[in-house]
Amino acid sequence: MNHQGGWALIKNTWQSWLQHRGFFFLLAFGWMLPLLVYLFVWSAAAEGGTLNGLSQDTLASYYLVLILVNQLTYTTANWTVGDIIRYGQINRWLLQPMSPIYHALSSEIAGKVVFMLFSIPITGILALIIQPQFNLTWQKGLLFIPSLLLAWMLRFFWGYWLALMAFWATRADSLLALQDSLVFLIGGHLAPIKLLPDWMQLPARILPFRYMSAFPVEILTSQLSYDEIFLGLVIQAGWAFLSVMIYRLVWRHGVRHYEAVGG
Amino acid sequence: MPESIIQVQDLTKIYQVPERSPGLGASLRGLIKPQYRQVKAVTQINFAVDLGEMVGLIGPNGAGKTTTLKMLSGLLYPTEGTAHVAGYTPWERQPAYLRRISMVMGNRSAMNWDIPPLDSFRVLSKIYDVPENAYKQTLDELIALLDMEALLKKPVRNLSLGERMKCELVAGLLYQPDILFLDEPTLGLDVAMQRRLRQFLKQYNQSHAVTVILTSHYMADVTALCPRVILIHHGQLLYDGALQSLAEKLAPFKLVKLQFNTVVDDFDGFIQQFQEIEHLPKENGHHTLRIPRGDVAQVTARLLQQLPIADLTVEDPPIEAVIDQIYEEGVL
Repeated sequence: MNHQGGWALIKNTWQSWLQHRGFFFLLAFGWMLPLLVYLFVWSAAAEGGTLNGLSQDTLASYYLVLILVNQLTYTTANWTVGDIIRYGQINRWLLQPMSPIYHALSSEIAGKVVFMLFSIPITGILALIIQPQFNLTWQKGLLFIPSLLLAWMLRFFWGYWLALMAFWATRADSLLALQDSLVFLIGGHLAPIKLLPDWMQLPARILPFRYMSAFPVEILTSQLSYDEIFLGLVIQAGWAFLSVMIYRLVWRHGVRHYEAVGG
Repeated sequence: MPESIIQVQDLTKIYQVPERSPGLGASLRGLIKPQYRQVKAVTQINFAVDLGEMVGLIGPNGAGKTTTLKMLSGLLYPTEGTAHVAGYTPWERQPAYLRRISMVMGNRSAMNWDIPPLDSFRVLSKIYDVPENAYKQTLDELIALLDMEALLKKPVRNLSLGERMKCELVAGLLYQPDILFLDEPTLGLDVAMQRRLRQFLKQYNQSHAVTVILTSHYMADVTALCPRVILIHHGQLLYDGALQSLAEKLAPFKLVKLQFNTVVDDFDGFIQQFQEIEHLPKENGHHTLRIPRGDVAQVTARLLQQLPIADLTVEDPPIEAVIDQIYEEGVL
């Protein structure tokens, strides 16, 4: 591991990304929009009552926190990894005495800072306008932190190993699009997990997609009992661990298979 | 005996290339049962390079030069064979190995285009763990040698191709590698810039005893820099030796240049009595004949006896012409 080089790379990428901050702000706004739509849809649907035990305030706060958590856990770097492999640009990373994952991590960390420059003030303003109320205990606030870190880790490594399929298939990024669709459908974006039809409850709670962004939000907005939180953390940690293992396996075989295309 | 820093044995790379016929039907069939063709990019090549040597790896497009360099730099796993470079197996890509080599590619950039080169150099110095003092010293030396002080603070995307290539070389040499793989370093550069880079590489090789393997399509690069060449064609090693002897070994003919005292009628008719002699277009009043090596003595004797010769010289063909012929015909 070469942490010094990794850190230098993060600072460098950050400088480079800030040159294009307008583009990244627009991108962040684009990600925010669907969740904002669902915030208003579900808030309107729960007006004056509850939906499966979720009040209008809980739903509004759920989507507001989800906007931030989604941007904190969403990995943009993985979308470029496939092309970098496909066009042979990964050659220069492979020639460096540092694991190429540092390049993805540096975009990831640099990107988070740029996105948050935009997303935190916007969500803050929205929170001031909507003023959602929810009961937050310090214990749940504390449990939110490891679940947020695990959500990022799971989403990053899951996306990274999918992106690495570009070593074999030319358009591996379609797998990332599939991952995004599944996060949208059964990962708590289209509707909070509690509002999904019964037959979707089990897959949603077992598969990794809920644990990529919705689960920490459910903890913070007090939708879960402690038992549910601990079970969820175990499942989340399991998926995160598995995604790292799959990444390592795919990487090892992928590099052997790599044909370093182009000059 | 100088020590070999690079040893290559039976190195082979076979690519699996997907293949399909044109048309929608073929596309659909390809979805169900993809067809692959095996392409032998490099076949059982053997060579060794000594410490501090500058070797030109030459051959036409698709000969296997870049594939060979990619295997030596650890980017590709070979299908068969072994290579030892500075005591390491390249494709294990050990960090200690990667710190000792550098690969500079004329058609690929190692720089971040959005930020000035100086920032990229700084990051590279951290990645390669170069101590601060050594970094400053090497950077100053390279900047002076390449005369590029003025470029350091402009974003890379605003630099010209030649300026960018200077930056690529600095990026590749910052950590003082022992072995340098140069893949078409002068690609697309103007003649003056090519000459300057060649000068720099020669100087750098002499002052740092760095071992260099260079591929280039510009024979001027090879003739200026590499006393030794390795010629690869269709993935096979055709020649490994002194550049000077390449023409002797590989060109089966010599060029005889003639000038006459008086006008000779029907010179072409005279030549026709010899088989396999080619009369090349006349240049500056000189006739040039391409004569098979074995026939040179006999033919020149006849020419001198029977024609009013004012001047006659026998030369090896220019290296470009030899290479051109090998590329075209693949002759040994």
